[in-house]
Amino acid sequence: MLFFRSEERLREWCAARGTTPGPAVSMDQLWGLAAQWYGTRLEPSARRPGPAEMREIFAGLGLTGAFWDPQADGF
Amino acid sequence: MDFLTSVKLAIYRHFAESSAAPTPQDIARELGSTPSEIQDAYRQLRANRVLLLERDGVTIRMAPPFSGVPTQHRVTIAGVEYFANCAWDALGIPAALHQSGTVYSRCEQTMEPLDLEVSLNGPGPSSWIFHSLVPAAKWWNDLVFT
Repeated sequence: MLFFRSEERLREWCAARGTTPGPAVSMDQLWGLAAQWYGTRLEPSARRPGPAEMREIFAGLGLTGAFWDPQADGF
Repeated sequence: MDFLTSVKLAIYRHFAESSAAPTPQDIARELGSTPSEIQDAYRQLRANRVLLLERDGVTIRMAPPFSGVPTQHRVTIAGVEYFANCAWDALGIPAALHQSGTVYSRCEQTMEPLDLEVSLNGPGPSSWIFHSLVPAAKWWNDLVFT
């Protein structure tokens, strides 16, 4: 999981490795992931989201499709 | 609170305060337990996907978002430098600590440095992007690669 300056730089990086880029995620979306995933991590009740919760978090940030499905079997 | 939760919270407190991974001895001292009991708890937390351990089974490699080893993703908060496991976790550290900070990383293609201020409400406007090569269903197959 890496940072890139732009989608063009991401495409260059993937082309050099013969791989297809996955979804590009904006910094606002990434903050949404970080805050929802880790915002309660230091609290006693904290736990890792289950598959349904993960889908809900991703979908709430506009991250949909098989790539973001934690139980997808198409990969 | 059950013992496993106490161990988990002690691990996270240690990372938050020192930025370093605690040894089983560190946690045993804090909880008045034995290193052997703490090692068992580490293994259970690994099974629960809370921790990633080194091959020795007792050294914490990851307690996401914190990394037990230096990485290219650094975060400074209140004068403390933390290492994150990945780009996602770099923003996860200020989110977990509920403090503003600065994320230092790079563009993986050009090596251009990233210097990103993160407030309690997240980063300011930025055209940088985040990318995962691995789909969600496979993240834990090889978490270091992910």
